[in-house]
Amino acid sequence: MARMKFLLDSDRCIECNACVTACKNEHEVPWGINRRRVVTLNDGRPGERSISMACMHCTDAPCAAVCPVSCFYTTADAIVLHDKDLCIGCGYCFYACPFGAPQYPRVGNFGSRGKMDKCTYCAGGPQADNSPAEYTQYGANRIAEGKLPLCAEMCSTKALLAGDGDMIAQIYRERVQRRGYGAGAWGWRTAYRETVAV
Amino acid sequence: MLIKRSDGRAAKQRLASAYQGLSAGGLDRRAFLRNAGLTGVGLAGLGVVSAGRAERTGAATGTADHSQPITRVKNICTHCSVGCTVTAEVQNGVWVGQEPSWESPINRGTHCAKGASVREIAHGDRRLKYPMKLVGGQWQRMTWDAALGEIAEKMMAIRQASGPDSVFLLGSAKFSNEGAYLFRKFAAFWGTNSVDHQARICHSTTVAGVANTWGYGAMTNSYNDIRNAKTMIIMGGNPAEAHPVSLQHILSGKEMNRANLIVIDPRFTRTAAHATEYMRIRPGTDIPIIWGLLWHIFENGWEDKDFIAQRVFGMEKVRAEVAKWNPAECERVTGVPAAQMRKVAEIFATQKPSTLIWCMGATQKTVGTANVRAYSILLLATGNVGKAGTGANIFRGHCNVQGATDFGLDVTTLPAYYGLDEAAWRHWCRVWDVSYESMIARFDSKAMMEMPGIPTTRYFDAVTLPRDQVQQRDNLKAMLVFGHGGNTVTRMPEAKKGLEALDLLVIVDPHPTSFAMQSDRRDGTYMLPACTQFECDGSRNSSNRSAQWGSKVVNPIFESKNDYEIVYRLAGALDAAAQRRNMTVRFQGEMFKGFEVRDNAPTAESILREINRGALSIGYSGISPERLKLHMQHQDQFDLVTLRAKPGAPAEIAGDFYGLPWPCFGTPEMRHPGSHILYNTSLHVKQGGGVFRARFGVEREGKTLLAEGSYSAGSEIQDGYPEFTVAVLKRLGWFDELTAAEKASIQRHFPNNIDLASWATDISCGIQRVAMEHGCVPYGNAKARADAWNLPDPIPVHREPIYTPRTDLIAQYPTLPDRRAFRLPHLGQSVQARSHQVAPNFPIILTSGRLVEYEGGGEETRSNKWLAELQQDMFVEINPADAAARNIRDGGWVWVRGPESDSKVRVKALVTERVGAGVAWMPFHFAGWIGGEDRRSKYPPGTDPIVLGESVNTVTTYGYDPVTFMQETKVTLCQIAAA
Amino acid sequence: MRALLLALLLACAGLTAQAQTAPAPLSDRDQSSAEELELQRTLQGGRIEGRITIPNQQAATLIQPAGREWRAFHNRTLAWVGGVAVVGMLALLAIFFFSRGRIRIEGGPSGQTIQRFNILERANHWMVASCFIILGLSGLNLTFGRHLLLPMVGPEAFTAVSQWGKYAHNFLSFPFALGLVVMFLLWVRDNIPNRRDITWFKMGGGFIGKGHPAAERFNAGQKVVFWITILGGGAVAASGYFLIFPFAATDIAGMQLSHIVHSLLAVLMIAAMLAHIYIGSLGMEGAIDAMSSGQVDVKWAKEHHSLWVEEEMGKTPAGAKHV
Repeated sequence: MARMKFLLDSDRCIECNACVTACKNEHEVPWGINRRRVVTLNDGRPGERSISMACMHCTDAPCAAVCPVSCFYTTADAIVLHDKDLCIGCGYCFYACPFGAPQYPRVGNFGSRGKMDKCTYCAGGPQADNSPAEYTQYGANRIAEGKLPLCAEMCSTKALLAGDGDMIAQIYRERVQRRGYGAGAWGWRTAYRETVAV
Repeated sequence: MLIKRSDGRAAKQRLASAYQGLSAGGLDRRAFLRNAGLTGVGLAGLGVVSAGRAERTGAATGTADHSQPITRVKNICTHCSVGCTVTAEVQNGVWVGQEPSWESPINRGTHCAKGASVREIAHGDRRLKYPMKLVGGQWQRMTWDAALGEIAEKMMAIRQASGPDSVFLLGSAKFSNEGAYLFRKFAAFWGTNSVDHQARICHSTTVAGVANTWGYGAMTNSYNDIRNAKTMIIMGGNPAEAHPVSLQHILSGKEMNRANLIVIDPRFTRTAAHATEYMRIRPGTDIPIIWGLLWHIFENGWEDKDFIAQRVFGMEKVRAEVAKWNPAECERVTGVPAAQMRKVAEIFATQKPSTLIWCMGATQKTVGTANVRAYSILLLATGNVGKAGTGANIFRGHCNVQGATDFGLDVTTLPAYYGLDEAAWRHWCRVWDVSYESMIARFDSKAMMEMPGIPTTRYFDAVTLPRDQVQQRDNLKAMLVFGHGGNTVTRMPEAKKGLEALDLLVIVDPHPTSFAMQSDRRDGTYMLPACTQFECDGSRNSSNRSAQWGSKVVNPIFESKNDYEIVYRLAGALDAAAQRRNMTVRFQGEMFKGFEVRDNAPTAESILREINRGALSIGYSGISPERLKLHMQHQDQFDLVTLRAKPGAPAEIAGDFYGLPWPCFGTPEMRHPGSHILYNTSLHVKQGGGVFRARFGVEREGKTLLAEGSYSAGSEIQDGYPEFTVAVLKRLGWFDELTAAEKASIQRHFPNNIDLASWATDISCGIQRVAMEHGCVPYGNAKARADAWNLPDPIPVHREPIYTPRTDLIAQYPTLPDRRAFRLPHLGQSVQARSHQVAPNFPIILTSGRLVEYEGGGEETRSNKWLAELQQDMFVEINPADAAARNIRDGGWVWVRGPESDSKVRVKALVTERVGAGVAWMPFHFAGWIGGEDRRSKYPPGTDPIVLGESVNTVTTYGYDPVTFMQETKVTLCQIAAA
Repeated sequence: MRALLLALLLACAGLTAQAQTAPAPLSDRDQSSAEELELQRTLQGGRIEGRITIPNQQAATLIQPAGREWRAFHNRTLAWVGGVAVVGMLALLAIFFFSRGRIRIEGGPSGQTIQRFNILERANHWMVASCFIILGLSGLNLTFGRHLLLPMVGPEAFTAVSQWGKYAHNFLSFPFALGLVVMFLLWVRDNIPNRRDITWFKMGGGFIGKGHPAAERFNAGQKVVFWITILGGGAVAASGYFLIFPFAATDIAGMQLSHIVHSLLAVLMIAAMLAHIYIGSLGMEGAIDAMSSGQVDVKWAKEHHSLWVEEEMGKTPAGAKHV
């Protein structure tokens, strides 16, 4: 079975935010919930690089490990999903997540968090695939339709790669070999305890 | 939301009203589902309810029902000129999803932030929903008929009292080709040349500059062809934000060829972050940079001597000017070290093919045309034109700014750059099947008919200047604006006065635009909801001249109507008003007689066919709607790099270049493939080859202007030749190769002297056909002009900006003296003299540019919730040194003051090294605040964009290019202080 | 170590550069490598941060390796500390109960009572106490419920319990904090430690040794409970408010630290309060009266708070408080 991952080639990323709005558009994600975001390091200086980041669907996911209600589960494709019907919005996954992926709608008083929302790798949630109930809670389920996450599919410079980890690592490796440089796979050491050796 | 931010409180308050409907608790579509009790069981049951119910739910939710069939429709992104295909998923007439368009050779499935969220446009919570008018300062709803009736009545009253030139028609680069053409035709039938659009403020200087150099005012190669380049210079452009999908081609090329990517810009942009070499220059010193590069090139003999000898006229005069720009002088003026100049010059001249990419950093200058000319000369000197991987890759702005320019939304020309002289008018009268005399009668006079109109950069001056200063019967009294914001034009405080003095202001747009809030008008203002191109059929030209056919995704939403219908109905309303006033002039019948009119609107196909008949000069005759539709259908058959249909493609597109990039000569049946690369001598003309255009005569100062020993592959004339006319055909003995039908057509249209008929005026396309049969390019084979003797500066010279901090350089490099053009006075040196007083108090150079999330005036994109979330505040980028000296902290509020009209804007500070010390930068997409005042209430209720902010053009200043009246947005002075 | 790594990396870069025909483009040579940066930050405990356009500045943190430490704390340290503290205290109390048995009033109650706590004091105590119990239970649930309760009741029921527990935890924090303030004002005067407390401790408070040490209104043991409640509870409440208003005053590191402080202090307090509950109810005859009716047996009072009884007796006419 495939092991799904994201790989961001920061030598290609231009902070165009297509990944961000593609995600918002596909899943109707409201304001303030940023399943995906683009961070620019060394802004305005030589060596500036932009990196698009969302849930990395970690191996041994920290969110799942710390969740007090054990609402996370990992699919056969190694996509880390969660069940919003079980989530209580405690915020622990945000403290544990290295990538700032979990998002919380602000509901009720004093910033009380609603149920956590995060990148689903366009794989929906526990409800029936592509049912309206699933869409309402988690957004579209492209994986069930045999497609990949829209953020990566629509990436303007094809900087963001999604798919089987071995395959996208190979694509990246070939790119680096062809052009002779590469900043490496952002987050891979932290998320998967591995790097893309070139 | 897990967020609490102290500095965001003000923004949140400001956004409070806008925020409704966006937060999780508001009225977004998901919440709607929840509130409507449609979650879970409720929705699961929807599968069995009646279709009507499902449709209503769909309309409200905009989400796909996977149990029902989904239709896919292809259209083109309405944002920038790259021309990304948008694949829309439609269900029950609602746009429910967007999928990657893998087949498109241009975007290959990808999008930028704007393209990935275009679906929101056709949902349009904040769109203008129905016609409205301002009554005593309040917006009132009205019907289309009533609105058009009142507008027509007022227009005709103004026509009667002040003449047709008192109405200013502002069109749009958002039009389809057909819409643009129709609007230009409407202006002709109304009787004015004051018809303009966004090209005036983006690439008018490019068009003027490159057309005067080698014939056509367009990008010479294509985004895809950049993949062939070995060296790319991007100068005065930030495609990473302005044309993100182009970076796919640029970065791929950079990687595949290990190419040099050199960015020359005052600002370290997102593009510069990916450069192999970044050169920071002082804003407004482009010509010294180019001449400085050429100095090294000539000094070291790196120029392409053969190319210059065969294909360039007047390079020796350039050498004389370049000699002045030795490394020391160049560094003194530009601030760039000599070593870097030499390095870049060597790379560009020796690691070929090299391409030069530019945008508004080059064009929006008082020396815009001269800049463009200098850039072109650099390309000519190094032989980097007319081959794969080379060329002037001019990235244009809006989705159809190329097409709108091509079809004459320009105060200086009829469609297809024919100009305004009698020959041009006579040509179009033949196309339109109306008499030339009847067209003269529509104008104030024949002189006015041939006089360039008032450009969009100066419309307000034409309203407010004393009548004797405006060279027409009366001042401007009315303005019809289709698809154009008001905040993209400089000197907004002056524009406000102009707008308030107008008798009639009509805004036709999907969104209210900044014109809604920019003035304190109380009456005589109308807003008509136009639909977007997603709700309309039509073709659009990408920057690379490829035309793409967009199919209507959904019907116009709310009460909006497409441009074709609006112009058609307005013409009808004008007829009725004329009849009431006993005026003899009529519009609708004559203007639309060549079109197929269906449901109160001419069809896009029939308009394009008329364009095919008339727009011969740019080779638009072969670009039929049928061919374009075939290209959209077989997008996957085109090669990524060459854009040529791949082997094995269906016969009906075999050999074609994608989108038939013009010139595509002859009739559609002749199957010219389009010209992927302009002036490419390595191909036969029938395969898309070309040469520099013979546009400026055959001889100058005793030297030939025709090419010497250079010709396109397969040409029977193996040297330069003039453009083809009947006279030339006769001289060559090819006249009798015209068919009888072609001869009859020429005879009919040129009854007095058929020798005058040329490749550009022979509607039968016979002359083009015969020339191509002999391997000759119909427009002739000439040299490109390094010396453009008809321009104010035939050889570009450096001229300091109007407001410059380097007052020590003004005496040596002054701007042009005061003069007159475009019916108006044009001040130069008299304003520049102010710099000496202004510079000490306004020490920071202010320049402006693009954000990736927004586009143009920004009303449409700032109304798109997905985009608005990403840029919630107008800001100014300021260098840490300048910020520290002023006690300004990152994220804090500041006042930016301009040197004219006591102007000031309140914006947030973004302290960053993107800008150098002494330079500040602001994005130009914001509007809704003026001088610190939030004018949200001025918008019709429910149509205010989510994000408002100060317009940079509140503080921009006087300064116009002498050739096109392009405004100066890139160099002025300002002062910044913490608020 | 880092220098070595860097040297190694540079050497590698040199090798690859040599192997290629064209040199790598300029600006790409001095860029930071993702893996290297991540490794450095992990070793230093820092974060990789940049600039972002959305207002949520938390999102500008690209990678925060500290999440791993927090996870280790939450899943291991806290579980062990909490488990040991709570279970250990329960075990201690059980041992104490079975070895020492219930501490009786010597010779049985006198039947004569004296008012120890007025209605305000008692109400406040019970408000704090009941809040604390619910806060404690819902808090413990977040740490241990997944392993203890979830397998027993199933995910839906467990989520329901946890969800309501979270609401209760958030809302009851306010009466709890208010009660602490009132408690402090009411009792601080009598809880200032003095020399007599040392004696009290030396005598084992009368629980372990024989004979009751003299004590004022609050003996040293109670003072300890008081100060644990005030200081511990205060700290738990304060750190808790950081958690309730996420990122209002701090960043991700602050949030993690708040949680660590909050949870550690809380489990220790729970352990302490278990002892307090034991001694106030099951462990000692007559003690519960002080907080139920407020009237304690004079004999009990004399045993545990001899000096206070004397003072009270001196103030009021004898027998005035007879029932």
